[in-house]
Amino acid sequence: MKKLVFVVVSLLLVLGLVACSSANQSNNNNATTPGQSDKVTDSGSSDGEKIMLRYYTSGRHDIAIFEEYIEKFNQTNTDNIEVEFVGMSENYQQSVDIAFSSGQAPDLLRVNDQTFEPFYKKNYLEPLNDYMTDELTKKFDGLFNEGINQVDGQIYSLPNDGRTYRLIYNQEIFEQVGLDGPPKTLAELVDYADRITQWGKDKNIYGFAQNFKNPKASLERSAAPIVALSGHNGFGFNFQTGRFDFGGYKEVMLAFKEMYDNGSMLPGSESLDIDPLRAQFAEGNIGMYFSFSVEPGVYKDQFPTDIKWAAAIPPTIDGEAKSSLNLTAAGTFISISSESKHKDAAWKFLEFLAQDEFLTDYHEGGYGLSLVPSIQSTANEPDIYGMDGFLMTKYDTLWPVPPTVVPEGRNYTDTFFRFMIEGGDIDQIIEELSRDYNEALDKAIANGEVSVEPDPSFDPSQLISN
Amino acid sequence: MKKARQLWESYTFLMPSFILTIILGVYPIFWAMRYMFYDYSGYGTARFIGLGNFSRLWRDDDFWNSVVNTFIYAGGKLIVTLPLALLLAVILNHAIRGRQLLRGIYFMPTIISNAVMAVVFFIIFNSYNGVLNQFLTKYHIASSNIDWLGPKYAMLTTIIVAIWGAIGNYMILFLAGLQGIPDDLYESSSLDGANKAQQFWYITIPMLGPIMQMVILLAIIISLKGYESIMVLTGGGPIGKTEVMYLYVYKLFFPFNNESSPIEQIGYGSAAGFATALIVGVITIIYFMISRRLNRIF
Repeated sequence: MKKLVFVVVSLLLVLGLVACSSANQSNNNNATTPGQSDKVTDSGSSDGEKIMLRYYTSGRHDIAIFEEYIEKFNQTNTDNIEVEFVGMSENYQQSVDIAFSSGQAPDLLRVNDQTFEPFYKKNYLEPLNDYMTDELTKKFDGLFNEGINQVDGQIYSLPNDGRTYRLIYNQEIFEQVGLDGPPKTLAELVDYADRITQWGKDKNIYGFAQNFKNPKASLERSAAPIVALSGHNGFGFNFQTGRFDFGGYKEVMLAFKEMYDNGSMLPGSESLDIDPLRAQFAEGNIGMYFSFSVEPGVYKDQFPTDIKWAAAIPPTIDGEAKSSLNLTAAGTFISISSESKHKDAAWKFLEFLAQDEFLTDYHEGGYGLSLVPSIQSTANEPDIYGMDGFLMTKYDTLWPVPPTVVPEGRNYTDTFFRFMIEGGDIDQIIEELSRDYNEALDKAIANGEVSVEPDPSFDPSQLISN
Repeated sequence: MKKARQLWESYTFLMPSFILTIILGVYPIFWAMRYMFYDYSGYGTARFIGLGNFSRLWRDDDFWNSVVNTFIYAGGKLIVTLPLALLLAVILNHAIRGRQLLRGIYFMPTIISNAVMAVVFFIIFNSYNGVLNQFLTKYHIASSNIDWLGPKYAMLTTIIVAIWGAIGNYMILFLAGLQGIPDDLYESSSLDGANKAQQFWYITIPMLGPIMQMVILLAIIISLKGYESIMVLTGGGPIGKTEVMYLYVYKLFFPFNNESSPIEQIGYGSAAGFATALIVGVITIIYFMISRRLNRIF
């Protein structure tokens, strides 16, 4: 018995040591500069064997076009390359983590504005600079930006499309209530939501709704665009001072709170997800909500509707646009995995997708609005109901990327959502929030995780394109 | 020699599950525990910060809110589920017509996925066109739609869903216990003039003691650890009204939704996970001590 206890305890100790030693090992691995992995390349199918590439994607809305083009690539490429397409949804990031940590990393993976930084820092992405041709460099000129698709001059993803933020509104309801057009100011937004609710409440029609089940996903597509268009950064960062300042949210959150308090919001908005919201909008029960340019595709395929609806530039605090709307999911598209054994083959697939044919079809099919100047100038506008309201304007540009920090307390979206429901002193809330974020920023700077250079000459109005 | 052979056989049979437990149960605990003292977000360097994560946890109102919510959730669930499950088991232990079918129906929620169950309950409870609100307003039981998933009632709703999902499971365990009680006891007590209520109180309850002890223990642990249906139904919201301990920890390791910030807090999550395990462990030990003392008394 004693022996058995000895064996078990020894085993546990060994496991503990293994666990601790692997921590060091992982630290050492992570000490390597991301993107500096040893390059393992292949030279096509010299031995006649098929090169299988696995492509992981989180994109659901563009599955159809990928199926079509992957099929085309598999049939037409002369290097015996076959791309296999693995679609994932909610747990994309975790699935990618598991694939990399278990030695089953894909050859190609989809990246967006949310996953680019963690994937880069985890050393998942292969720099593309060595593969870039003069033709592609020229084609995507001006679309490679630090923190968006490149780090320290190393490109990690070719750009393709971007998504525009808009206010989506039911035109039939607006006509029946006697509203001329979408609201231009916050005061109008609150007023219109109230008037629609007064008119339609008996018929279960409400002025406003948002997918508040996930406060971050909801406020980033509703409050943040209003804040940005009004001249402040939607993530609460002041590029002039290099500090966080959530003051730009004050008027916006007061307006949201007013709509919540006066009953203009669809009942249950606090626990509403985006798809149930869309289902209610498609039924004609919601006057207005905010989202981005995937909505026309959603109402075409997922929630077909007969209602007359449109999209418009979001309102601003005082009716004047003092800066631009930050494009979302813009500038990033597909990266080559640092663990791929077939990087050259993977690049051939990326080159195939970077051709005008795919980029044009992607834009015209309404899967995403092209950022590429040559495509913008030659492609037709997407022929999908409602897409005209989402097309890029001078107000749809890319903001610089603020530093990513995790505050000790609640994040800003949870805090503002709580204010909307429970109330409180908004000035004090903003002050404490800015303090928490700045403390986290100082800590991140001290640890060398981020670097911030204040830019006193930064002028948000210059972001509006000419 | 025979003893050695028996021992060898025993350990051979034990070994597969022992190895799996070490790999899938013990190793992950060590893996997580080593990060309790580190500031680590899943990439970059893990920085040793001593008890920094624990002092942050101490100041974290949202964590303590989740602890309180867990007790409300588990308490509400247990207070209703256990007596109801026992009552159902006693009724369905009698030779009533269709009892097998009824047992199957009551047990069915146990085998349904929590996620599917939560989606169905969302359809029932959602505020704007939920089945429940339609029923209540149609028959004038409520004058307007009730916000079942709003800040006021969200916890009540999650408890109702939990009760519905758990009742059949405990009913089956109680039924197993009831079927182990010899009929002789009931027959002889009848001859002595005991009525049904007296039989239930003086025979059924004491004879169910050991299994009841186990069922209550399981129910406490499962209720304190439960979060899956809440995750689908409310995501812990609104404003943390249904945030329970394990969901809070889960979100630190696996931030929700690709659209939200995907920054993992492995170090802090490990500390929070350790604290929650400690809380569940302490409650389990307290329950053990109380039930042991009650055993001695009765």
